[in-house]
Amino acid sequence: MILPLADVPAPHIDYKGLSPLIALVGGTVLVLMAALLRGRFVQRSLLPLLTLGTLGAAMGLSIWVWSPGDHRPIVESALEVDALALSLSLVFYVAGIATVLLAHRSAALSDAGAGEYYTLLLSSVTGMVLLAEAANLITLFVGIELLSIPLYVLCASQVRRRASLEAGLKYLVIGSVGSATLLYGLALIYGAAGTTSFAGIDRALGDTVSLSDPLLLTGIALACAGLAFKASVAPFHQWTPDVYQGAPTPVTAFMAVATKAAAFAIFLRLFDSALLSAQFQWAPALAALATITIVVGNVGAIAQDSLKRMLAWSGVAQAGYILAGVVVGTQKGLEATVFYLLVYLLMNVAAFAVVIARERVSEWGDGMRALEGLGRAAPWLAWPMTIAMLALAGFPATAGFIGKFYLIDAAVDGDYAWLGVVIVAGSMISLVYYLRVVAVMWMGPMEVRLPSLPGRPRTAKPVGGWSPEADAWAQPEVTLVAVACAAATMFFGIWPNPLFDLVADVGTSLASLVG
Amino acid sequence: MTSTWGWLILLFPLVGTVVISLGYKVLPGRLAGWLGSAAILGAFVCAIGALLSIQDRTPEDRQVVSTLWTYASTAKVDVGMTILVDPLSVLMALVVSGVSFLIHVYSVSYMGGDRGYARYFAYLNFFVFSMLLLVMGGNLVLLIVGWAFVGAASYLLISFWYRRGTATYAGLKAFVINVVGDIGLVVAAFLLWSKTGALDWTGVFRGSHEAFHTNDGVIVAACLLLTVGAFAKSAQVPLHTWLPDAMEGPTPVSALIHAATMVTAGVYLIARTHPLYELAPTAADITAVLATFTFVYAATCAMAITDLKRIIAYSTISQIGYMVVGVALFGYANGLFHLMTHAFFKALLFMGAGSIIAAMAGEQNIDRMGGLRRAMPFTYVTFMVGSLALAGFPPFSGWLSKDSIVAFAFDRGGWYVAIGVAGYVAALLTAFYTFRVVFRVFSGEPVEEARLLERGELAHAAHRNPLTGEEEDTDVGFPGPEHHIAERELPMKFAMSLLAVLAFAGGTIGIPDVSDVLERFLEPTFADSAFQGVAPSDTAEWIGLAVGAATAAAGIGAAWLVYLRRPGLSLELARRFPRTHRFLERRWYFDELYDLTVVRPLQALAAFSRRAIERGIVQGLLVGGAGGLVRGGMTIARTIQNGYLRAYALLLLTGLAGLGLYFLLQSS
Repeated sequence: MILPLADVPAPHIDYKGLSPLIALVGGTVLVLMAALLRGRFVQRSLLPLLTLGTLGAAMGLSIWVWSPGDHRPIVESALEVDALALSLSLVFYVAGIATVLLAHRSAALSDAGAGEYYTLLLSSVTGMVLLAEAANLITLFVGIELLSIPLYVLCASQVRRRASLEAGLKYLVIGSVGSATLLYGLALIYGAAGTTSFAGIDRALGDTVSLSDPLLLTGIALACAGLAFKASVAPFHQWTPDVYQGAPTPVTAFMAVATKAAAFAIFLRLFDSALLSAQFQWAPALAALATITIVVGNVGAIAQDSLKRMLAWSGVAQAGYILAGVVVGTQKGLEATVFYLLVYLLMNVAAFAVVIARERVSEWGDGMRALEGLGRAAPWLAWPMTIAMLALAGFPATAGFIGKFYLIDAAVDGDYAWLGVVIVAGSMISLVYYLRVVAVMWMGPMEVRLPSLPGRPRTAKPVGGWSPEADAWAQPEVTLVAVACAAATMFFGIWPNPLFDLVADVGTSLASLVG
Repeated sequence: MTSTWGWLILLFPLVGTVVISLGYKVLPGRLAGWLGSAAILGAFVCAIGALLSIQDRTPEDRQVVSTLWTYASTAKVDVGMTILVDPLSVLMALVVSGVSFLIHVYSVSYMGGDRGYARYFAYLNFFVFSMLLLVMGGNLVLLIVGWAFVGAASYLLISFWYRRGTATYAGLKAFVINVVGDIGLVVAAFLLWSKTGALDWTGVFRGSHEAFHTNDGVIVAACLLLTVGAFAKSAQVPLHTWLPDAMEGPTPVSALIHAATMVTAGVYLIARTHPLYELAPTAADITAVLATFTFVYAATCAMAITDLKRIIAYSTISQIGYMVVGVALFGYANGLFHLMTHAFFKALLFMGAGSIIAAMAGEQNIDRMGGLRRAMPFTYVTFMVGSLALAGFPPFSGWLSKDSIVAFAFDRGGWYVAIGVAGYVAALLTAFYTFRVVFRVFSGEPVEEARLLERGELAHAAHRNPLTGEEEDTDVGFPGPEHHIAERELPMKFAMSLLAVLAFAGGTIGIPDVSDVLERFLEPTFADSAFQGVAPSDTAEWIGLAVGAATAAAGIGAAWLVYLRRPGLSLELARRFPRTHRFLERRWYFDELYDLTVVRPLQALAAFSRRAIERGIVQGLLVGGAGGLVRGGMTIARTIQNGYLRAYALLLLTGLAGLGLYFLLQSS
């Protein structure tokens, strides 16, 4: 039977709210088209500028759309815009901009083609924004696939490096398992609740669906596992170190901050709003996962010799901390989660920027020894790295401290005091590997004896000649990213008020949460 | 406007710190020093601005609280970046920034040859910023932050010559003892917060009046803990042993941090928290008694030791004892008056000592000095001014300020009279030991260095550690190759002459019956005190001053008798009473006592834990154990983390099965 078109009610579309997404998609197409033009200027300058422009425009539009306390659908029952979506979009845009800058001299650009590289990056950002604004299970899954598939390709974009290809393939296979698990879970949840919209599920759970319904609980379990994979929560974290190390480092940086923020956006949307009524069912499981993640991540990071692997394991541990904010299911937990994601962006990008700067010039690649004596040779890189490490460890006067404090406060406030203790214990262990990086940079030549993985020192193509002075200024855009992110980390550590105001706005965006 | 001045006071030294520490490579010559001095001058000018603007207000309106931003407002903790501008903090800011400026100027020359020149000024600016933060902070948290910062600055500057073993050890010692005080302060803050629910000064004071009755157990405990903090920072018995060792730092640092400003933070703390102490008179009395013991004790030590800087250090401990007694007896204006004049004359004495040590090519033992008067006329005159002020000789500033404290003790009556008597006894000793130094350094037969200097040559000797005699080079981490004396350096002369004028005339703002400027100025801060307006009668004060003058004259006369009239008498005395002499020279064996009761047992404990716990339990069980565990864990981890996808998928499925099982159990 063919439905008369007129009978299908057109969804109400709020074009103003949709404008950031429109800008992103438009920019993606534009970059792809422009990439057809050959020529050094286009490939080296125009494409990155166009990408930056797209991201900047989308960011500007997001801020323009933003009105405090606002909560409205932009595409009826599919997308809605609120402070949570907008603040996480900021994370995606900033991460995207940083990645464009960091990738400017990456070998991946010439290997894979600049146009393809930037297009994939923009599509991935689009997927993230889409899922942050998702209002039902379908959009959520579309968003997740839109963000994942370009990332599989980006991981493999350094086609002449075997490790990059391996990382891409590995990510693709495991990622598909994760996506499939998630999709299965979403399907079962739909089956139990009879609706795909988050608001509808929330209503159904309190009303028609029993909370001990096996269908629903199996769905939650599968969705939980799928998301845990995306957020690299143990025991679904295994791909993280391999993929982080194998992928081109700018892509790793992007994955570390943006993908993580996106995964937690779904966690928040799904668990803290749609499935909040079933909190007693899922919260203990998530708390257990958080604990395992914190322990596994921190222990795993200790023995790493590769900085990228170390940051990967540290990212696993940090995911455990952030999960604590989701577990408690309170407004404060939501605020703490978003706060931590914001500062996590700053400190992690700063760290990765320094790794990128070093791996391009040092014969040790991304090994710990690449940082040796950096304090003397290039203080402009050593300081951001120091600040990033201290912030990740949660030192006072950095934003990381306030973020961690916020999370612990939320955990204690939400009757998960023991989880707060786990976070503190995890932070204590983490000092071992964070401070070692600081020591290697500042304390002069020292033997870093580690149970390292077999491998020879890599020979990298020097960017600015082998002299430290030339190296330090050979990649000004990388140094800029490192310094800017580290400065912001310090700034928000001393004056956190702007972020407090922002997350206070976010705190009200999920209506179902109690204050 | 008042609060703007207040913020500017903090801003200048902070900017100075940042600029100097970032630009240490590019700042040529002595520019770092001048930049640092200019920053502190800026702070001083702003302090004057704050003074003028606060005087424009009505007396009730002279406590200005200004919050720049709220740092945390969660879980019942409300902490902001808040300053309190009131007469007390303005007075402290004036003294700190004013004296600091002069010492900066002095250092521009004095540290001229040092290889760590810019680092020195970065530290020094950081210290001034921290100290100003401490005195301006509007809540307990900022006080603690400033407290810890000045401790850190003090540590950095004591161990400024970081290749000198004795200096780094002294820095460590100072830091450890100060941390004891920090703990006291933090616990006190917690007690106050838990009972009053506030951390800002006004809230704490208001809340404590509601929460506590007089001599309530908690408030006494809190005040005693505050006293622990104050005593550690102000080097009062029993937490005093770090200050003499702190003299390992450069001499201007001793003048600034370990005489004029930081060590008086304890006095400031007690004055600032006076509403609490007035609620806990017992704690105030204990504080006063300990401080009384301190000023007598330190004065006796200063009579026997021979290291020039350490003598002045003990004199500092003694004089701070007077100030603490002043504020602990609730005569706040008296204590702060002495704090101010002491800052002038003690900084001056240290500057003079620096000049003398430079002329002696690094020698610090007064036994090796003599007859420097003709060679160093300027240093002699200024040192003499400082000594007369310290001895309390009329009409110098120390005479008026010290005796105001003693007179107040007599006026309190009862057993406080004993404190007053002790005050005179210690004053006698003070006059004696002060002029012991003056006579032995400047009079008598000129030593070789003095003769050289009279011929216009500055003595040079191999660079040695003055304590151990080890040879040193002059590279960074050790003192620089050049010495600078006041006679030849204009900036040093400038700083010293200005301080000499202040040490002479600084007392004029507190002449009984004539001018009570300071007391009236501080009135708004202490308006809530029960002792506001309580003061000895003018007659009593003048009698006290007369007795004080006589005491000082007697002490100076005794020193003249022993060291000039009958040289050799002192040696004879030391021979006749060897035990007393040794007892004083070893400073009552305090260091040995601590070594025996604290350091050794802790070392033994550490050695034991290393043997038993570290080797046995940790390495054996946990590491061998844990070594095995970690190794085993890593083997497992490496087996799992083998890079094969199928292994990952297996674990993924295992995790998934676990999760699924958990959720399905929920459904039954």
